[in-house]
Amino acid sequence: MTAAFPAPTPEAETDAPLILALPKGRILAECGTLLARAGITPAADYTDESSRRLRFPTNEPGLDVVRVRPFDVATFVAFGGAALGICGADVLMEFDYPEIYAPLDLGIGRCRIAVAEPRATAGSDDPSRWSSVRVASKYPTITRRHFAARGIQAEVVELSGAMELAPGLGLARLIVDLVQTGSTLKANGLVETEVIAPVTSRLIVNRTALKTRPEAIGAWIARFREALAPVRAAA
Amino acid sequence: MTDDPPPNPALLPSGLRDLLPPDAATEAATVEALMEVFAAHGYERIRPPLLEFEDSLLAGSGAAVADQTFRLMDPDSQRMMGLRADTTPQVVRIATTRLGGAPRPLRLSYAGQCLRVRGSQIAPDRQVPQAGIELIGRDSPAADAEIVLVGAEALAAAGLARVSFDLTLPTLAPALMEAAGIAGPAGATLARALDRKDAAAVTRHGGLLAPVLTELLLAAGPADRALAALTAAPLPPPARALADRLAATVAAIRARAPGLRLTIDPVEFRGYRYHTGVSVTIYAPGRHEEIGRGGRYLCGDDPATGLTLYPDALLRAAPARAPRPRLFVPPDSDADVAARFRTLGYATIAALDPEADPAAEARRLLCTHLLRNGAAVPLPPTD
Repeated sequence: MTAAFPAPTPEAETDAPLILALPKGRILAECGTLLARAGITPAADYTDESSRRLRFPTNEPGLDVVRVRPFDVATFVAFGGAALGICGADVLMEFDYPEIYAPLDLGIGRCRIAVAEPRATAGSDDPSRWSSVRVASKYPTITRRHFAARGIQAEVVELSGAMELAPGLGLARLIVDLVQTGSTLKANGLVETEVIAPVTSRLIVNRTALKTRPEAIGAWIARFREALAPVRAAA
Repeated sequence: MTDDPPPNPALLPSGLRDLLPPDAATEAATVEALMEVFAAHGYERIRPPLLEFEDSLLAGSGAAVADQTFRLMDPDSQRMMGLRADTTPQVVRIATTRLGGAPRPLRLSYAGQCLRVRGSQIAPDRQVPQAGIELIGRDSPAADAEIVLVGAEALAAAGLARVSFDLTLPTLAPALMEAAGIAGPAGATLARALDRKDAAAVTRHGGLLAPVLTELLLAAGPADRALAALTAAPLPPPARALADRLAATVAAIRARAPGLRLTIDPVEFRGYRYHTGVSVTIYAPGRHEEIGRGGRYLCGDDPATGLTLYPDALLRAAPARAPRPRLFVPPDSDADVAARFRTLGYATIAALDPEADPAAEARRLLCTHLLRNGAAVPLPPTD
């Protein structure tokens, strides 16, 4: 048997507030604008990264907000701990949870996931002759899949930050990372050699939550969709 | 040189578990309750073997679970055998061979364990019990409805009255894509985007289909709203026929079970990937896992539909059952009295040694009652 852990009782949970998981860091400010347009006002200290609180009520009694690391947004939603979430397409590509639906492209947090390498080695040999290549990344799955499609085994050195240091210090030949403007790459003597995919943030939904509370979840998707409408028209 | 500590003998391979008291008994009782309802509706039980030749196990509908099937070589015949990862392919084999001559519609039921090569992070179990029914030889809304209704009754018998049935049309999205000429790698990319309800990717890869697919994708939800969206959508004739069939199935279910909670997800098509028509997934409110799944498939050349329930998931979703009271029977008690209490639903725990303090011994053995002067005397809880 599996160690039991307290789960909300089924009866109570159907009336409990839905939880929206938001990513800390880069995207949080852009999320704020979007939430405001969707009519959601979380408790005031939610943008304060120094606040120790992790869960915040909102002006909507049926919705609470939690603030977690971007990679963890996907995990919380996949396990159903949060019914809704906002996270980058990069995270969805990396984890590829079948339990997550991504019904809306929010158009915020625009960047790309790309391959980069030191200016000195870029173009110095023919990658189609490689059997394997060592790559530093926090995206092992995306990296392996990308190079496997080209017939190359990627030996991934997993780092959680400061990827740009890896080639110069001999950890890897290449890096795979998020690139927004490219200025960090440039400052570290790297050049972008290939874009793997464009990235924007998505509204994500737990599959079972959508099936068991379709009215509530559907209403939230519709509200976010409406909040996007003026942006789309302007774009 | 370092030595690893010896493995702990309690450690099991990942995804495998021991069921202890009272869970093992509860699971068995749950399966029996389901099978009783299936039998009462004329679904006769079969018991296929755990292992069979790979070629028959993975033929037809079995191909969908080929990558989840454990294989081993039969030292006797030198042929490859597979351990079933799903029971339906075995029922298909039996229905098309040994029971090929049995009158149709053929109603069969089964209960047993399946093994799969790997679990996922969210559903880590590799040994999964199944209890299910198959209705072979009819392709009609009435047959689709029967599977749902018998499933709902079986779940109620197992203690789960509030469940929701999510109906899907796994062939609708492929029919739309075929009509629009989207095939090959582009089709696979679009299919994947639909599977994840990735609206951005559907817009990017859907071409002319993107608007209708997006509308249908967002229509997932309560049955009436989704049916309205299907009616309003511009569908080519083959897809329209599927949508009409779904509406007829919903009507057939509603006619007999108006209170049953139905949702529809028109463009979802995951599952075991052998479904050819109206399919269903069952959810319990507040639980983050499926408790059953089924749908229409081809049994050889016969149309068929079926439903598989997952007793382990039911166990987690259903309210706990009251355990059997435990009656401590001191030595030299009357055997007939103990037997009478067993017929009343007590478990009798016979003392094997003379006891100076039977009540203390009864408590030590977690008994709830003590047999004294022919009566079951309740024991106060220890703490």
